[in-house]
Amino acid sequence: MFARDLATPCPSIGVDDPALDAARLLAEQHLPGIVVCEPDGRPSRILPGSQVLRFLIPPYVQDDETLARVIGDQSAERLTSALRGRSVREVLPGPPAGELAVCRPDSTILEIAVLMARAHSPLVAVVEDARLVGCVTLPRVLDALLGLS
Amino acid sequence: MAVVAIAVFVAAYVLLASETVHRVQAALGGAAILLAAGVLSFEDAFHSPETGIDWEVIFLLLGMMIIVGVLRKTGVFEYVAIRAVKQARGRPVRVMVMLILITATASAALDNVTTVLLIAPVTLLVCDRLDIPPVPFLIAEVMASNIGGTATLIGDPPNIIIASRAGLTFNDFLVHLTPIVVVLVAVLIGLCRWMFRSAFRYDPARAAEVMELDEREAIADPRLLRRSGLVLGLVLVGFVLSPALGYAPAVVALLGSGILVLVSGLPPGEYLADVEAPTLLFFAGLFVMVGALIKVGAIDQLAEWATAATGGSVQVATFLLLGVSGLLSAVVDNIPYVATMAPLVQSLSQETGNPDNVLWWALALGADLGGNATVIGASANVVMLGIAERNGHRIGFWQFARYGGLVTLVTVLVCVPYLWLRYFAFA
Repeated sequence: MFARDLATPCPSIGVDDPALDAARLLAEQHLPGIVVCEPDGRPSRILPGSQVLRFLIPPYVQDDETLARVIGDQSAERLTSALRGRSVREVLPGPPAGELAVCRPDSTILEIAVLMARAHSPLVAVVEDARLVGCVTLPRVLDALLGLS
Repeated sequence: MAVVAIAVFVAAYVLLASETVHRVQAALGGAAILLAAGVLSFEDAFHSPETGIDWEVIFLLLGMMIIVGVLRKTGVFEYVAIRAVKQARGRPVRVMVMLILITATASAALDNVTTVLLIAPVTLLVCDRLDIPPVPFLIAEVMASNIGGTATLIGDPPNIIIASRAGLTFNDFLVHLTPIVVVLVAVLIGLCRWMFRSAFRYDPARAAEVMELDEREAIADPRLLRRSGLVLGLVLVGFVLSPALGYAPAVVALLGSGILVLVSGLPPGEYLADVEAPTLLFFAGLFVMVGALIKVGAIDQLAEWATAATGGSVQVATFLLLGVSGLLSAVVDNIPYVATMAPLVQSLSQETGNPDNVLWWALALGADLGGNATVIGASANVVMLGIAERNGHRIGFWQFARYGGLVTLVTVLVCVPYLWLRYFAFA
């Protein structure tokens, strides 16, 4: 099974687009992450949903999870203010630490799994001729590896 | 041998001060060289009460780290802090006073770094809600922590070293240091009120947002809280009664931690999470290096020079010790400083006399309060700055030093009449 067989159409977001748009896309399409493209359309990074959460939740609550209970769910909507006025670039986690989670359409399932594990990415962008043709998500890879689909 | 011991010690100190290597590497590396060179034997390093590792200090720290590890899980600290802030009705000045009092009190029972780790997130949340700058609050708290920790034997690692070396009890610290620390906390509140006057902006609408916080939710496991509270209470009573019971403070802490581990039902990963192995190893290495200085006679020689410099006057020695300790602790970590000075003060006190252990109190006050002067003066300062920076509030070296220098100067000066009146004028 190759990347082209597992890939599904997926949205991408521009690196200078509003971060709130990225969060909305992740929520509406139930994605574990989203592909980030440079202004020329070239996929450059993967923005994992967990990174958006890290940005939404103030560091002091991440340091002391007891405070999450103290604040309560009714205050959760305040958290989205952390994303207002910010671009995707600002939310991305620093400079890319490892390799980019990008594969070719003819990459094998194991190659994709290795890439995901090494890049700690729940999503791999399938790129052909510097153009995004789809994404392979973590559940799809696990399904294929475990023979569930 | 003396040359080797002094050279290794100075080299390790330079590495510690310059932070070119991790402090554990500097301390253990130095200790290893001294053992390999034969300056200290196995017996000298591990079994001798004079030159060996002070196991009482190590195990007292270990016991308290385990107790703190369990207490942190209860959420009681967050509960108390948020309740106090709500009592203050979200008025910034009152909030700061409350947080200073809570931090100083907690620091007397817990180590300063833990206190800072617990109070800083609550402070950031409250300041976020009140829409006021958190930096003045964070600086005030870390200073309250360093001052509050001075009050008791277990409040600050230098006090543990002093107590062990001098044979002082928990009650000695309560009688001699706690009264002046109460005064110093009041002085700190006054200073903060003045230093940070522009930060106290009150907005009733924002204060109402603080009142929405539900502190009761912080207590996730009331059963754990009851058990931990009972054991902590017993441990504190144990410290007070330790001379009568014949138990050393380290034994009390180990008994308390053992009981707490049994009754809490927490897995090892949770109650051991706060055990800082690097800190314990650092202490072990440090004790070996200082032990080598004692064995080769360097400490006695220094004590002789110090006695000559003070003219054999305990009064001069006391105030010199207070001032020099305050000054040096501002630029070097006060733990290695006190570990080095403790045997020196012990020798010095035999020459000059030491009425009511005044030299030990001068060393403790100078070293603990000096830690407030600069960012690098105390571990708690470094930790607090890290938390502030991670939350988008950078505190510069000089910004801290501006406030810290003033607080150190004033608090050390306040100690002068205290020591003079109590130990000399009316002795």
